Order: sequence, then structure tokens, then C-alpha cells
Amino acid sequence: MSRDLVTIKGGKDGFRLLVDSSASMEEIEAEIKKKLEENPGFFPEGTKFELEVADLDRSVKKGIDQLLSKHGFGVDKSPKADNHTADNIRGIKKTGQPEQTTVQEMMVLNRTIRGGEEVTSQSSILICGNVNPGAHVIAGGSIDIRGKCRGMVHAGAWGDTNAVIIADRLMPSQIRIANMIARSPDSMEQSDFAERAYIKDGQIVIEPIER
Amino acid sequence: MSEVIVVTSGKGGVGKSTTTANLGVGLAMRGQKVVLIDTDTGLRNLDLLLGLENRIMYDLVDVIEGRVEIRKALVRHKKFENLQLLPTSQVKDKSAVNPADLMALCDELRKEYDYVIIDCPAGIEQGFQTAIAGADTAIVVTMPEVSAVRDADKIIGELGRSEKDNIKLIINRIRPAMVDSGEMMDMDDINDILAIKCIGQVPDDIKVVTSANRGEPVVGDNDSQAGKAYANIVGRIMGEDIPFMEFEKEGFFAKLKKAFGM
Ligand SMILES: Nc1ncnc2c1ncn2[C@@H]1O[C@H](COP(=O)(O)OP(=O)(O)O)[C@@H](O)[C@H]1O
Ligand SMILES: [Mg+2]
Repeated sequence: MSRDLVTIKGGKDGFRLLVDSSASMEEIEAEIKKKLEENPGFFPEGTKFELEVADLDRSVKKGIDQLLSKHGFGVDKSPKADNHTADNIRGIKKTGQPEQTTVQEMMVLNRTIRGGEEVTSQSSILICGNVNPGAHVIAGGSIDIRGKCRGMVHAGAWGDTNAVIIADRLMPSQIRIANMIARSPDSMEQSDFAERAYIKDGQIVIEPIER
Repeated sequence: MSEVIVVTSGKGGVGKSTTTANLGVGLAMRGQKVVLIDTDTGLRNLDLLLGLENRIMYDLVDVIEGRVEIRKALVRHKKFENLQLLPTSQVKDKSAVNPADLMALCDELRKEYDYVIIDCPAGIEQGFQTAIAGADTAIVVTMPEVSAVRDADKIIGELGRSEKDNIKLIINRIRPAMVDSGEMMDMDDINDILAIKCIGQVPDDIKVVTSANRGEPVVGDNDSQAGKAYANIVGRIMGEDIPFMEFEKEGFFAKLKKAFGM
């Protein structure tokens, strides 16, 4: 598979849309559509994306703007230019993967995340409490649960394949890391130790850890 | 110090009205002044459970809309004159009552009664928001069933978002034999997920149904496991420290005893 022409990343100030400047408008349009449809309901309505386009054509910029507004989103017209430059885009081209985000914040929650609740953060998330069935936790970075995880957890939700999920008891309905999904077996065996899930050789693996 | 308690569940049919009726009668038996408010408009049944259907003159909507004074709409219990019911309407529009109305009503009743207990409709829509508005304490009723526990969990989250932090749990319709055989969720599992203080474990008991049909809640009936369980909950609400009881199993000997009327 070729590298992504379009990458959506979570940063401290919102979402960033990185576009490969060698791509055509049709390719970009298809990519963005796919990205948005992969995660329906993921981006809150009215989300503004900061466009990272060092040398994109004006018409392409406009096209992206129109496409996003069709989906109820928008382009942030006042990007905080400095550190996100064309270099970033080149970095992606080289490795085929978004480079480590500069944001190292963490969202910390000291409570039970209950069914029907959705917790989303572009950073990593630390939860001191249980994540109950029917709850969703979605992080741009890693997820650490000091409690039992029975809900749906998605780490590296914007493509960070290095993200991990850790829980005192890992018995979720579904684990997602970046764009990989692992479903729990239909009859869940009770785990008696802390576990870590991460991507290894293109697969989500789960291993016991000490803590 | 009076307390306004809302009895809620998310899922319907888990025993909210049964719980409200039993707590009302149980607290009245202990000499407390109690008023029960039925807010499950359209599905009126608290009056039936208390055997008061034929005494209803006015209802909650009449009071809220100012047609009658509260005093006139209250229906006194036949046996316990310190227990009153404010029934709801079966026909009027349920949006007639809003959270502010009910809050004002609760504050009025608080002056005169030790306990105001509100029977809440199922779901998390407006009726729920109205019912919880004036409450100090929420009692969440659930059953040892995956879907009922899920709904209870959601309701607890919802209560938290409405800044109701004093939440207690009652697990109703427990079948000990099924719990033992692993066919029913056990109490530890439920408490582990819901993580709120449990004040009652009530077994599934046919006497709950037969006594409801007579309009006499089972609470205090010492021949009934559920009756004892409700009496224990009443004690816990009044601040007593009562251990949870062990349920009798419908085993061979229990059945044999029953067959001989022992
Ligand atoms: N502990 C119990 N044992 C047996 N039947 C019960 C018990 N609790 C409730 N029920 C029955 O379950 C049904 C639903 O109860 P109800 O109190 O009306 O639920 P809700 O008000 O939550 O809809 C009723 O028929 C009631 O008699
Ligand atoms: Mg009811």
C-alpha cells in the first residue's frame, strides 16, 4: 500500500490536516472523504482543521475547504504557522508515518467512565477508575486505565501506531490502535493481571505486564 | 431533617414502583411522615400498588397547574395515616410538569414530611429530568441482568451530570439459585461495575406480585424474603447499619417444607 496522501493529526490546538502536495485534487478528495467516513461522528460538528499546505495550489486549498464544509467542518484560516511547515510534510513522505506529535499532554480522569459516555482527547488519557461496558475512550496518544476496562478503547486514533493501551484488567469489547481493530472473544476469559496492547508486526498483541 | 428521594432505573419494569410503594409503607410503619409522588404520567400504577385507586380525586397536574391545593390532592393511605400519595394523571399531557415545578413542590412538602419519595418514569427523557430535579438522594433500581445493569450505569452517569451525587443502589429480583449456577450476574459483579453504595438486595418473590394485587405492599411480611429485604432497606435509609441477609435457596428441603405447609 502506498503512503497516505492525507493525514489527520490531533495537536494541542485542534486537528491538523496534512496533505501531500504531489497529490491531485481528486485523490485528496477521495482520501479526505474516506478519512471522515472511517470515523463517523468522531469529529465534533464544526471542527476546524488547520491546513498544512506549504506549496498547495490555491484551487486545491479551496477545494478542500468546500469539501470540509460539506461535511459540516471548516478550515482554520489562521494557522499558527511557525513549527508546522513543509518539513513536516516531507517527514511524512519519508517514513510513511506521521512523526511523533510534539504534544505531550495527558488528560487525567479520576472517575468511572460509564456506559454511553465518550471521552476523547488528542493527547494521551489516564483514567483512574473503571471504563464500563458501552463507554468509549478515544485518544490521539496512549490510554492507561488504572481499573477495569470493559468498554471500547481506541488509542492512536489519528494514526499513531506506537500508541499503547494499558489496563489493570483488560476485558474490553473492542480494542483499536491506529487503524487496527481487535475484537474480544465472544466468551471473555477473566484476566487476572495488568495487560498492555500494542501493535507488533502489523497486529494488535496483548501481553501481561507488571505494575 | 427531611429527605427527598427519587427512585429511578433507566429500564422499565425492574421494580421502581414496587420499590417506591414498599419504601413508603415501610417508612410509615416506622412512624415516619411520608409522601409518595407518582411522576410516571400515563402509566399510573402507584395508586394500584397501594390499593388507593378509587380514592383519587385530583392529581399532580392539577396541583402544578394550580387548580387545587396540594393538601386536597393528597390521598391518605387506609392503614397508615402518616402516608400520603400524590397520584399522577393517566390522561393529561406529561409535559405539563417541568423540573422547576417539581422542585418547588418538593420544597413545599419537605416542610411537613420526613420523606418525599418520587417514582420516576423509565428512560432518560424529560420525565426523568423532571423527576430527579428536586431530589437529595437517588435510588437506582436494577436487576441482575446485563441490559438492566447497562441502563443503570447510564442513569448513574446521567445523575452525575445533573449534579446528583448521592446515589444508592437496589438490586431487585435476584434468584439466588441462578446466581449460584452462574446463569445470573452476581452481586459482586454488579457492584464492581456500578460502583455506588448498595442499600438493598431483594429476591424475586411471588409474594411481591400477590401482595401488590391486593394493594398491600409486601414490606414487613416476615414470611416473605422480599418483605424482609424491603424492611432492611427502610432501616438503612433511616441510618441503621443492617447486614445483608443470606437468601434461602429453593432447594429440595425448602420445597419439601412448603409442600407440608411448614
Ligand atoms: N422482587 C420482585 N419479585 C417478583 N416480582 C417483582 C419484584 N419486583 C417487581 N416485581 C414485578 O415486576 C413487575 C414490574 O415492577 P414495577 O415496580 O411496576 O416496575 P417499574 O415501576 O420499574 O416499571 C411488576 O409486575 C412487579 O410485581
Ligand atoms: Mg412504574
